[in-house]
Amino acid sequence: MESTSVIEVSGITKSYKGAEFPAVDNLSFTISKNETFGLLGPNGAGKTTTISMLCGLFHPTNGTVKVNGEDLRSNLSKVKSDLGIVPQDIALYPTLTGRENLEFYGAMYGVEKQELKKRINTWLNKLEMNKSADKLVESYSGGMKRRINLIAGVLHNPRILFLDEPTVGVDVQSRAAIMEHLNELNASGVTIIYTSHHLEEAEKFCSDVAIIDQGKIIARGKPSSLISENVGCTNLEDVFLKLTKTALRD
Amino acid sequence: MRRLLAAMKKEMLLLVRDRMGLGILFVMPMVLIFVMTLIQDAAFRTLDEQGIPIVIVNNDQDSLGNRIEQGLRNSDLCLFHNEVDGQPATEDNIVNAVKEGKFVIGIVIPEGATQAIVDNVGTIVSASIGMDELPTNDTETAEIIIVIDPVATKSFVTSVTSQLREYISSVRTRIMFETFDKEIAEIIPDDMREEGTNYDVKPAITYKQEYASELTGEVKPNAVQHNVPAWTIFAMFFIVIPVVSSVMKEKNEGTVFRFHTIPASYLLQSNAKLIVFVIVCMLQFILMLSIGLIFLPMLGLPVLNLGNSYLGIGVVALACSFAATGYGILIGTLFSTQQQGAILGSLSILVFSALGGIWIPSYIMPDMMRSISELSPLHWALDGFYALFLRGEGLREVVPHALKLFTFFLGCIALTLIVRRVQKNQ
Repeated sequence: MESTSVIEVSGITKSYKGAEFPAVDNLSFTISKNETFGLLGPNGAGKTTTISMLCGLFHPTNGTVKVNGEDLRSNLSKVKSDLGIVPQDIALYPTLTGRENLEFYGAMYGVEKQELKKRINTWLNKLEMNKSADKLVESYSGGMKRRINLIAGVLHNPRILFLDEPTVGVDVQSRAAIMEHLNELNASGVTIIYTSHHLEEAEKFCSDVAIIDQGKIIARGKPSSLISENVGCTNLEDVFLKLTKTALRD
Repeated sequence: MRRLLAAMKKEMLLLVRDRMGLGILFVMPMVLIFVMTLIQDAAFRTLDEQGIPIVIVNNDQDSLGNRIEQGLRNSDLCLFHNEVDGQPATEDNIVNAVKEGKFVIGIVIPEGATQAIVDNVGTIVSASIGMDELPTNDTETAEIIIVIDPVATKSFVTSVTSQLREYISSVRTRIMFETFDKEIAEIIPDDMREEGTNYDVKPAITYKQEYASELTGEVKPNAVQHNVPAWTIFAMFFIVIPVVSSVMKEKNEGTVFRFHTIPASYLLQSNAKLIVFVIVCMLQFILMLSIGLIFLPMLGLPVLNLGNSYLGIGVVALACSFAATGYGILIGTLFSTQQQGAILGSLSILVFSALGGIWIPSYIMPDMMRSISELSPLHWALDGFYALFLRGEGLREVVPHALKLFTFFLGCIALTLIVRRVQKNQ
């Protein structure tokens, strides 16, 4: 694995208007090329806010984010085509078919028409969506929507892929298919930044994780190192509960 | 360019599959045009004093009665009737008929009305040549009864009575000359007089009406001329609802998240939306005009007169489309939920339309409301169409209307960009 940083985060803070505490509080970390980086944390910990700032959806109140050495605030348009996003919400048009959604997003990323057709068919076959591709998205099951949502984020062959809870609410089969293809993508050289509440999945999938709580990173390292560093923990979930405590979150 | 076309295709597909949205865009205004035009037709006829139904009982059946009957029958002012519910009109049944609103005015010409003029004129002529004394004020006169519906406008009643006075005067003048002729014939021997004098000579003074613009007053505002452009503009501005829905859905369904991370500007997305909805507005416009040109005349209503400038119509319609779509994009950006946007968007259009003279023409509003109506973009558009359809004006005259609408559109887009920037920084 190469150690070149593709993402460098320096002291980012995000404060929302009217909020008592910042959603993200002075985070600093780097993500290396070809890494599968897991950003884990309880509800409201600041995962989605962090991901949103890393992919340029909004700018931090303080601090800087660099992607491939380019400052995101000043060079956002330059790095956008390197980024792929699979948001937590299904970012698809319910009254378009799966294929129409993919054609639209592919075209928006500037993928050439014939090449786009080829890529769409390849991905539909991979994720076993070819038979349903011409049905309206509103008629899909949760798992089918998630699979199309994933394809929409990777059609332009991004070098860095952000996945915000990509397997939430899907059945075991769909989850297995999604994770298999994410591993394939990573093997092909794509750096993946991933958030999830499935800690078992994260333990298997991520080469590196950061546990975030109340806007701060409270642990960072390889899943196996974190487990061995925390006495009495046998898996990542034990580490997570030990560090974030068992109190319920809003 | 490919991105723009892809975004436009997406917008078009979303719109075509939104049956409720299509209903709002096309069916609602069509229904409104049909219903409102039919409802307002009678009111506009009264307001414009065209084809107002009147009923006449001609008990005279002589020169005066026939002159009045013929004159009113040929008049544009009213629709002549001499029957009530299929029965000959009588002095008794016309009062009720007017009371029931079947006619705006009923006229009873009494029996012997012409004879009364003949007697009166005969006495005057005899007195003037010294053969008789002038008639006294208590001489018997024939009385024409005019039964008026209280809803009749004062100007209409005045017009009808003026016409009656004119007919009486012309008949009286003719009878007076004929009587003179007869009296003189008794004084002057036949061989010294020219036979068969025709007193219907060309009048010494005539009058000529000139209209300030080209349509020479033949086209007057009527229910079709008002309602077709008015409700078409209303429908075009009601595009706010589907535009708001489109913007809100993207906000709420998470697609906007992906948009902001796509290497294409937000303006491209907005432009695609703008172009598609402007095309839809123009389609609405063509459809609504076709109703005025083809379908309303089938129901016995006047045909829509488009005036002289198709280019002017196109420019005002395009400006109106941009203004309406720009307003929709602004409302969609301002509010955070679809309900808020849809309610406030539609309410604001209702207020703009009421003020702008869509429901009731602004020329019959009080002065203060007429001044306020000048602030409504729907009024700018309607006034533009009035100028083209009613006053026969051309492109040059409607450029100020179009400019106001384009400025409104640019203002909406500028405000949208400011609001978006503020929202992003929050």
